[in-house]
Amino acid sequence: MKQVAYYKGCLASLSAKELDTSTQALAPKVGLALLDLESVTCCGAGDIHEAEPDYYLHLNARILAYAEATGSDTLMTICNVCTLNLRQADFMLKGDDALRERVNTNLRAVGVPPYSGAVEVKHFLWLVADGEGFELLKASAHKGLKGIKIAPFYGCQILRPSKLLGFEDPDKPWSLERIIEACGGEVVDYPAKVKCCGFPIIQAREDTALGELIQPIEQAIEGGADAIVTPCPLCHLSLDAWQSKLNAQRKKEGVDPLQPMPIMHLAQLIGVAAGLEDSELKFRRHVVSMKPVLEKLTV
Amino acid sequence: MEAATQPREKTMKVKVKIWRYDSQTGERALKEYEIEAPEWVTLLDILDLIKDQQDGSLAYRKSCRMMICGSCGMRMDGAAVLACKTRMYDIVQAGHVPVISAMGNLPIVKDLVVDMDPFWEKFKAMKPWLQPGYEEPPEGKEYRVSQERMNVIHKEALCINCGCCVSECNAMESSPEFLGPQALAKGMRFVGDARDGATVERLEDYSTEHGIWECTRCYFCNERCPKGVDPRDAIAKLGAEAVNEGIDRDMGAKHAKWFIKSTETTGWLRETELVPKTQGVISAISQMKFAMGLAVKGKVPPPFPPHVAENVDEARGLHKLVQQQGRQGYEGIVQGERSLARLDHHLREDGEVPPSEGSVGGMGSLTSADITPGEEPTAGKAD
Repeated sequence: MKQVAYYKGCLASLSAKELDTSTQALAPKVGLALLDLESVTCCGAGDIHEAEPDYYLHLNARILAYAEATGSDTLMTICNVCTLNLRQADFMLKGDDALRERVNTNLRAVGVPPYSGAVEVKHFLWLVADGEGFELLKASAHKGLKGIKIAPFYGCQILRPSKLLGFEDPDKPWSLERIIEACGGEVVDYPAKVKCCGFPIIQAREDTALGELIQPIEQAIEGGADAIVTPCPLCHLSLDAWQSKLNAQRKKEGVDPLQPMPIMHLAQLIGVAAGLEDSELKFRRHVVSMKPVLEKLTV
Repeated sequence: MEAATQPREKTMKVKVKIWRYDSQTGERALKEYEIEAPEWVTLLDILDLIKDQQDGSLAYRKSCRMMICGSCGMRMDGAAVLACKTRMYDIVQAGHVPVISAMGNLPIVKDLVVDMDPFWEKFKAMKPWLQPGYEEPPEGKEYRVSQERMNVIHKEALCINCGCCVSECNAMESSPEFLGPQALAKGMRFVGDARDGATVERLEDYSTEHGIWECTRCYFCNERCPKGVDPRDAIAKLGAEAVNEGIDRDMGAKHAKWFIKSTETTGWLRETELVPKTQGVISAISQMKFAMGLAVKGKVPPPFPPHVAENVDEARGLHKLVQQQGRQGYEGIVQGERSLARLDHHLREDGEVPPSEGSVGGMGSLTSADITPGEEPTAGKAD
């Protein structure tokens, strides 16, 4: 078992609890022992980075420091935005002695353990898409997803900027496809899989966001997908919860509603193939029903 | 006479497919070309050869051929590039036939030529010229700007107005009026300029409906920029500076401030209160039906009892400390740029560049030395 510090972020603790329960249940099957972090806070999303970037840096340094204190060399994230925020802060601190010293002095002043740059921030997707994690995933996905067509949706901040993320080619990513296939599903490819779900501005600029999130949904429908899978709970919330708003908009324009497109978290997709319990997958918490997908699976 | 003494250049067969388009007739076709070319050619060289030898009607823009004029922005396999910066050798070796098309988010005039007027309109809207607001220096003296102050806008000043960022901007695709990455990065180039005297007015101007807070943070601009400007970071700098100046009426700014409040109080985002804190109570009430739909699925977690992180007072303490240390606004981002530039140049921890890896990605000729603070000038500074 590989011990990893587990940073669940805000949404998996709140509106996307199903992501947390399915990740926790799946972890031992893919060789991961999750170490809880009790003292950490929100990473600030893109928001604190944009409003008070110096505070953003300190907040993320604090999270990295507590992850280090667990003794693990890996801080595992399950959200794109957390991944970029933490990796960016880590690189900012690693490459500049004076800045690191200043931040450490501040951390010390409030009683936080020191940051030394000893953990690498890795998204759950990266841990199971390759190497030992992938071998274990293949072995545990025994139930399979036979006959199910899945459209991968990466979102932005797990791919771009690639110099900070760097796991795969941001224009030709392969990790989700590889996992879908390993789980026995069929991949639906479409151009919008690397584009934005609109979530960061869904409250401040809803119309602009809706114009973004309709693209993957329409293209997945067109490709005949049974469901979309995403590694990010923000993309999940946007694509799942705001579908009804797309349809409200269409109704006003006199256009037929879209065929409902179920959205799965990555850990749920693997979880289904690995035979996790309903109580762990918690599909009932989704706004768009997963029922048609699950029925197709049992046939 | 044959130039028998000249060593012959190694050549290769280059294949490309080009989306041809005629805006007058609306005709559109994907045409394949094959041409013999030296191994060192760029995409722009290939277009020149095709136009010269095979099809004089092919339309594209070019001028300097050396990554400084910004004329030859176009898409290769759907991703915006400068044709003059794109070497063909590896692509040919991989047996790949790339598809070349015009940039996105701008109307196509013909083939690879887009109408840049909407681009320049937004550029002009930023008032991209200095508006001095300081007093004349004493007779015989001059103001000098420190290297440290120039570093604030070093990246933004590298912009060559090529449009590669605009081509890929996901927010502009959905909302064409969005000022977009190029214009906003240009805005930051002036907001951060020690010589400019209109910072607050600029931040007000850039904070309107289609300004700073409409950026969707897709990071396509950073990914594509051939000069390392990182427009998304420039937009974040503007947001930070606007909040620092108290220009925070926009819902985007309010949304951001609620995250700060959340981390100080419970440590975690107080998600349920985010909508009224961002949009105001009236607007939040109009969202009630939508919210109820989410609530039945547990998507509206009750704010009580709050989900509180252990030792959250440490976060509060950190916030207080950083507020006293004078790195508010864009300084918070600028302070990390030197470290992040190391990634562009594949610098190891010890500062050495590994021999096998050169500069890849978008940084052009920039080296990390460019953003190392130089010696302080001796005379008075403008800031």
